[in-house]
Amino acid sequence: MTVKVVTDSMADLPAGLIKQFDITVIPVNVLFGMETYRDGVDLTTEQFYSKLVASKILPTTAVPSLGVFSEAYEKLAKETKEILVLTISHKLSGTFETASRAVSMVKAKCRIQVVDTLQVIMGEGLIALRAAELAKAGAGLDEIVKRVQEDIQRVEERMAFDSLEYLKKGGRIGAAQAFLGSILKVNPVLGMKDGEVFPVSRERSRAKAMDTLYNFVLGFTDLEAIAVEHATTPEEADQLAERLKEKFPTVPLYRSKVGAVIGTHVGPSIVAVSVIGNRKN
Amino acid sequence: MKKIETTDGLTLREMFSAATAWLEKSVADIDALNVFPVPDGDTGTNMLLTMRSAIEEAYRAPDHSASAVAQAMSKGALMGARGNSGVILSQIWRGIAQGMSKKEIFTGRDFADAYSQASKTAYKGLSNPVEGTILTVIRESAQAGKTYAANTSDDLVPVIESIVNAAAKSLSNTPNLLPVLKEAGVVDAGGQGLYTILEGALRYLRGEGEQMQFRKPQIVTSSVNAPFRISTANVKEVPYGYCTEFLLKGQEIDPDKLRERLRKYGESLIVVGDQANVRVHVHSLDPGKVLHLVAPLGTMHQVSIRNMDEQHEDYLEMQKQRMPTTNIAIIAISPGEGITDVFNSLGAFVVPGGQTMNPSTKDILQGVESLNPDKIVILPNNKNIVLTANQVHTLTKKTVKVIPTKTVPQGVAALLAYDYEADFDANVKMMEKARNAVRTIEITRAIRNTNIGDLRIKKNQAIGLLDTDLVAVADTALDVLNKVLERIDLAESEVVTVYYGQGIEKAEAENISKGIQEKYPDLQIEVVKGGQPHYEYIISIE
Repeated sequence: MTVKVVTDSMADLPAGLIKQFDITVIPVNVLFGMETYRDGVDLTTEQFYSKLVASKILPTTAVPSLGVFSEAYEKLAKETKEILVLTISHKLSGTFETASRAVSMVKAKCRIQVVDTLQVIMGEGLIALRAAELAKAGAGLDEIVKRVQEDIQRVEERMAFDSLEYLKKGGRIGAAQAFLGSILKVNPVLGMKDGEVFPVSRERSRAKAMDTLYNFVLGFTDLEAIAVEHATTPEEADQLAERLKEKFPTVPLYRSKVGAVIGTHVGPSIVAVSVIGNRKN
Repeated sequence: MKKIETTDGLTLREMFSAATAWLEKSVADIDALNVFPVPDGDTGTNMLLTMRSAIEEAYRAPDHSASAVAQAMSKGALMGARGNSGVILSQIWRGIAQGMSKKEIFTGRDFADAYSQASKTAYKGLSNPVEGTILTVIRESAQAGKTYAANTSDDLVPVIESIVNAAAKSLSNTPNLLPVLKEAGVVDAGGQGLYTILEGALRYLRGEGEQMQFRKPQIVTSSVNAPFRISTANVKEVPYGYCTEFLLKGQEIDPDKLRERLRKYGESLIVVGDQANVRVHVHSLDPGKVLHLVAPLGTMHQVSIRNMDEQHEDYLEMQKQRMPTTNIAIIAISPGEGITDVFNSLGAFVVPGGQTMNPSTKDILQGVESLNPDKIVILPNNKNIVLTANQVHTLTKKTVKVIPTKTVPQGVAALLAYDYEADFDANVKMMEKARNAVRTIEITRAIRNTNIGDLRIKKNQAIGLLDTDLVAVADTALDVLNKVLERIDLAESEVVTVYYGQGIEKAEAENISKGIQEKYPDLQIEVVKGGQPHYEYIISIE
């Protein structure tokens, strides 16, 4: 019986891949004041960003309820005996906690393992995707978890911003707060380390920031997957993806969009690249 | 007050329906309290939406028994739970429903028991329960409620009253248990939410439903004051508790004696005046004591008491931004206020000095010694300061490296190249490289007639330097700038920053920027107030 893979909407997996690999995505809530939307369900990425720019109140986000997780588990438990749940870093969201707690509420007989990817966006997405590939190929839960743990060590990402204001307001800025408050206009580039955002560099132009993302990928060998995503600037991300495709024609490259929940915390200008591979020394 | 001995599910629903409306009034205040576990600013909103979902479901209960309504509310809370605080709240409702199980009606003792059960469920639900949160508030208030119901009265109202009182006490103590709250000088937001809900229920039971429409819940204040962390050397005064100021009018007041007596009540004490009028300023944890002590001496006027902790929060935020995240610190020498701001905003510490006001080795050394990190990078930002900076390493035990930046733009470029991931040596290399990747134009005035190479220069003419070499002369700053620009391939450049000097109007600097922009429309041009003396313009080309 195939292992079922569950992840949250903050993994930014494109709809095609979700369908192809039969991944269950739990939507996280986005709140504009008292209006609640489920990420990717009630609100598309495009609708979200136009609302983000137009709305006077800044949106906030909320972890899906225990009930939503336990219902999803119950439903999957009818088709399988093993479920793997991959969540966003617990340092950025309470999703891991809720997903774990919901396990004890499931009455059906089913092994459910929840793993914190310590990642977000397509960094999380690539891990989930590869787990789902393995599941589809018939691997068991233990085998997949082992591989996921390895992948978590080998996934890295870089995100280019226009401004860190949204990140600051959302309170997830971590050590990157060192990049706040610059009088000169800078394009901060951030990464993820130990499940948290950390500052990488400040570039004086957007073009340089895109170069930094490109050069970051060049710093890897044995690349197994690359993902490029944007929020509202598809051209920049397309260009970056083209350059990477030329350089790494045989590495699978996924194009995606940053969803509403993460969009709430990063703002409309983000372009990000995530990879699975080994760092060159 | 009406006496309520027994109640059914309808009362349960109504009391918490009123409590939810009560909570709604506080949502913004509670959101503002939220600093744990992540400063989301949505604890109040999440708790409200969870409660609303519980109440909606309560209307769908199959009958009016306490058991059925509590069951329904538990289900509603579970399905509607949002955020960490909402999840914990839903666990609380789960516990209450378990406690009310099979009960048609409930007494004060039943409620106390169910609420105790809720406390246990809330703890059990968490893999890593943290004290100083909503958990502590429910545990301590549940204990108080149980004791009261067992020893004093089984009536619902006094039992809930004992719970509410204990919750307030517990809540105000949360900063003592959780350092992050202490740091922010607030109580736990989730605990505040719980307290407000209980208080709303109590008010409803007391028959205050009508008054509740016109009043607003109180936010419990922290029982401790925020401590103050100072991370930079140049802060003179430490904010402390309440800034208390007033004018005391009386007869035969002895300001010196008064100062002595007030000394132990706070910091930053100022007592000035004469026998009839004394102005007092003090940062006190307990302004009440200060006023009490002074009252017999005369009458108080222009009394002002401001909460310094509120001001301090902004201050802390500002400090945090400047705190180095590594064991490396960067010192930049800055020739003007605006440039100092730029360096500060990029995370460097500044020693003032520049053209004609070069800092001494001692000045720079003092900067080095005043910083915590033991690895220091120095950016002299002027060719006449490089040598001075080079002396510093012989005078300190710290590891000091000078990146010989000869101009402000070189210093800014080096600073921007700083990599938080890399170690000291790697950073020195990267900063060195970045320094050379930027070009600098400086525009100043000739102080005397002279000939340099082919250039004949008259006193007070504008002269232009490219990477510290004198290359152009003209009558106006704009003309000389254009001459210098001709020597640079701007098509290869991306960003131009114009730092305008002391005495230059912003409009004039913007004109210069417009002139460049017209010729090179693809350039990103920034105009920044540099405030440097002598140099009308310092221009960076990247």
